[in-house]
Amino acid sequence: MLAVGWGWLTDARPSPVASQLKSFWFCRRHQPHRRCRSLRMGEFKVHRVRFFNYVPSGIRCVAYNNQSNRLAVSRTDGTVEIYNLSANYFQEKFFPGHESRATEALCWAKGQRLFSAGLNGEIIEYDLQALNIKYAMDAFGGPIWSMAASPSGSQLLAGCEDGSVKLFQITPDKIQFERNFDRQKSRILSLSWRPSGTHIAAGSIDYISVFDVKSGSAIHKMLVDRQYMGVSKRKCIIWGVAFLSDGTVISVDSAGKVQFWDSATGTLVKNHLVANADVQSIAVSDQEDSFVVGTAEGTVFHFQLVSVTSNSSEKQWVRTKPFQHHTHDVRAVAHSPTALISGGTDTHLVIRPLMEKVEVKNYDAALRKITFPHRRLISCSKKKQLLLFQFAHHLELWQLGSTVATGKNGDTLPLSKDADHLLHLKTKGPENIICSCISPCGSWIAYSTASRFFLYRLSYERDNISLQRVSKMPAFLRSALQILFSEDSAKLFVASNQGSLHIIRLLEGSFKHLHTFQPQSGTVESMCLLAVSPDGNWLAASGTSAGVHVYNVKNLKLHCTVPAYNFPVTALAIAPSTNNLVIAHSDQQVFEYSIPDKQYTEWSRTIQKQGFHHLWLQRDTPITHISFHLKRPMHILLHDAYMFCIIDKSLPLPNDKTLLYNPLPPKNESDVIRRRTAHAFKISKIYKPLLFMDLLDERTLVAVERPLDDIIAQLPPPIKKKKFGT
Amino acid sequence: MVQLRPRVSRTPASASAMVDEGQPASEEEAEHGLLLGQPSSGAAAEPLQDDEEGDSEFDEDEAPEELTFASAQAEAREEERRVRETVRRDKALLKEKRKRREELFIEQKKRKLLPDTVLEKLTTAPQTTIKKSPGKLKEVILQKKNEECEKGSDSKKTKEKVQKVQSVGHNKSYLAVRLKDQDLRDSRQEAAKAFIQNCLYGPGTNRTTVNKFLSLDNKRLPVKKAAAQFLNNAWGTQRKQNAKRFKRRWMVRRMKTSKK
Repeated sequence: MLAVGWGWLTDARPSPVASQLKSFWFCRRHQPHRRCRSLRMGEFKVHRVRFFNYVPSGIRCVAYNNQSNRLAVSRTDGTVEIYNLSANYFQEKFFPGHESRATEALCWAKGQRLFSAGLNGEIIEYDLQALNIKYAMDAFGGPIWSMAASPSGSQLLAGCEDGSVKLFQITPDKIQFERNFDRQKSRILSLSWRPSGTHIAAGSIDYISVFDVKSGSAIHKMLVDRQYMGVSKRKCIIWGVAFLSDGTVISVDSAGKVQFWDSATGTLVKNHLVANADVQSIAVSDQEDSFVVGTAEGTVFHFQLVSVTSNSSEKQWVRTKPFQHHTHDVRAVAHSPTALISGGTDTHLVIRPLMEKVEVKNYDAALRKITFPHRRLISCSKKKQLLLFQFAHHLELWQLGSTVATGKNGDTLPLSKDADHLLHLKTKGPENIICSCISPCGSWIAYSTASRFFLYRLSYERDNISLQRVSKMPAFLRSALQILFSEDSAKLFVASNQGSLHIIRLLEGSFKHLHTFQPQSGTVESMCLLAVSPDGNWLAASGTSAGVHVYNVKNLKLHCTVPAYNFPVTALAIAPSTNNLVIAHSDQQVFEYSIPDKQYTEWSRTIQKQGFHHLWLQRDTPITHISFHLKRPMHILLHDAYMFCIIDKSLPLPNDKTLLYNPLPPKNESDVIRRRTAHAFKISKIYKPLLFMDLLDERTLVAVERPLDDIIAQLPPPIKKKKFGT
Repeated sequence: MVQLRPRVSRTPASASAMVDEGQPASEEEAEHGLLLGQPSSGAAAEPLQDDEEGDSEFDEDEAPEELTFASAQAEAREEERRVRETVRRDKALLKEKRKRREELFIEQKKRKLLPDTVLEKLTTAPQTTIKKSPGKLKEVILQKKNEECEKGSDSKKTKEKVQKVQSVGHNKSYLAVRLKDQDLRDSRQEAAKAFIQNCLYGPGTNRTTVNKFLSLDNKRLPVKKAAAQFLNNAWGTQRKQNAKRFKRRWMVRRMKTSKK
């Protein structure tokens, strides 16, 4: 049980980042040591790190695929992420960003193919198996603002800066330009197909055009009123259009209007003024009985088609529910059959289930807010107490502070030595970093972008550190999805995006390629997670859907494959001495698999038989890291974004009646009560949002937090709103 | 007059005045070139005459009159022909020069181009490499693996493999683009970015600052906290510097007065 009783220390020293600021600034940003004493597990000194200055980039587009129940999200830095909504909203794949690829449009086409287009004028198709870009094709129309796949999914429309609408045919392995529609005067910012595929609507500046697909000519041009509440405003930008099958065109624009047009006559039917600011996005459900719009004020409005009076067949669109889950612009919305999905500049992806559409009122019906990536951005060198932070275009290496003071449980200890920013390593070129790792001994750093792999040797001489790049990486080491060093830092394991695993032996300042494990025949799935046993004999690797493969590093052979499970793996680790592989899945199940015996352990069987606590299964962020206590083989340490947990396998498992989250233990607790409440899951929710937590040595933990307020403070300015009483 | 002139040049039986008028410029130029100090008193002093007669310049007044029609015409015609010839020669020379230069350019271009084999490779590469590259890579890796196993047995093979690896890497290590297109594309992209920036955050968009936004919540909280960014270090730098200087001077003055 983790005892609680925390307090801040007043004389804590500033982190070097904030050294210019006043004293109570330190209280917000400093990195004090915290001491936490637990009754049964001994005590931990906790490094509470808050200097990981990570700001996720804003969400630009969201595209929902009904068949696979997956959601593609693109961010302003060009990153594209794929979320599996049926696997507990887990972010199972991602494509790293690129400086020149500002994505402006994202869409799915037939056969679950994903396309994106952006301001560099290229249409890109992604390879969802190998996790790389299949091809990029120039549309020759300048920057592309919008894209839409035809209802049949075999054609693709792109709206360009020069006012052209280009039609592409989707062939099995590429796309092919077919023809241009009538060119418009200004840029095409939004596009929508009529579900029958006969017409399209294109939103531009100050007007909406309706095209006939067969002839390619504009049949209507519907002018949008620039006036905004009687005042003539700037140009009216049509941020989004939606074409319904009955011929209605819905448009949202920068004057804050949601307008309904009749495409047959080209007239305005109805006008809703929903916001004082831009309405930036629109998405319609497949049944066309509801749609959702997102505004720059951060509000999402739900519109529904309801009958005018009860019993009458006449129906009309009514604005039903406003949701305010965002603080900044909502740049993208999507409408899944059961939920409204929105994302915006404030970097949150919000999934709001519609209560009337949800059949079972379970925890799936709750609101989800995804802010942080579901992968690790931090690696740690235990020996040297170093933390390596991964950003989009650089790496930061920090030395943790230290203290000589001791204190009671809950005390904040003063730092005798501040945390030190040792290294700022910028990448060359415009590509984002995919993954990075620091070796346990702290003398190697490896990172990879989409096209290049970098390995650096670090040497420490007193206060100086010198960095030397290991040159001449072999041709097969071009890009890696995951990098891992062995415990003794003598070997490097690289999961490449071809599905193969490379083992490289590291020598002083050079390297030697030892072996490559080829992917199983017939699969091209790439591995995203790696784990190596502390003795260096076993290597476990897992892809996005197939089971976990365990390789014997000594014989260089595949040892066994853990049976595939329905949900993707979120974290992997191999326990010291016992060589038990602990696997966490996105539905919060934890399995323990004995590698030498090639079977699940007894503990894993019992917990599967009994089942996890219902509150445990309802947690909504995936477990991102697992580690072990060297001296206590019965303990498994794991964490997600909002809790840290120690599973003590020697204790009885909790059933649904027991309290999962341990309440604060009273000071003079009698043994009887303690025995009654003691169960295997010791959960601490003090540190949040928690991006990384690991055991440095037997008595020291490091926790890296990223408070949301600090992220908001670095985002672009929001819309001004008058609040009463301020 | 203008129409007549070409006829004059062709036919010999025509007025001398016309001929004289026809080429005053060239003659004068020539004269100026040869004898600069001479006062040109006559209507036209031919350079040929000058050469023949040498110093008998003073007899000009009478002598030309008898010669005029026969000799002057002939001379004029000759002169004309000569000029025409030189022009033709110049033209020919120029033509030849141009020809030679063109040839040189072609040769240079040829020299600059990569050898035919490489060019062929490049043109065929885009279709083949994309499809084959994973396979190729695998091959290479497999071969490497074998290599590791049978290490030391055959050095020739390894060389070949290394070359293969390099060639694969070579094809992918660069991308050829025309800079002109790239510039155009970049400028368009910049314009597009500026447009979106102006739409979202430009004037008239009613944006607030992050600090003000965060303070809204803070104002309503029962426990007031500090602003997220409450210190602007850039503020009043000039005044701070002035104050510093003033303080230093003041200290010096104090020291002086105390010494006295």
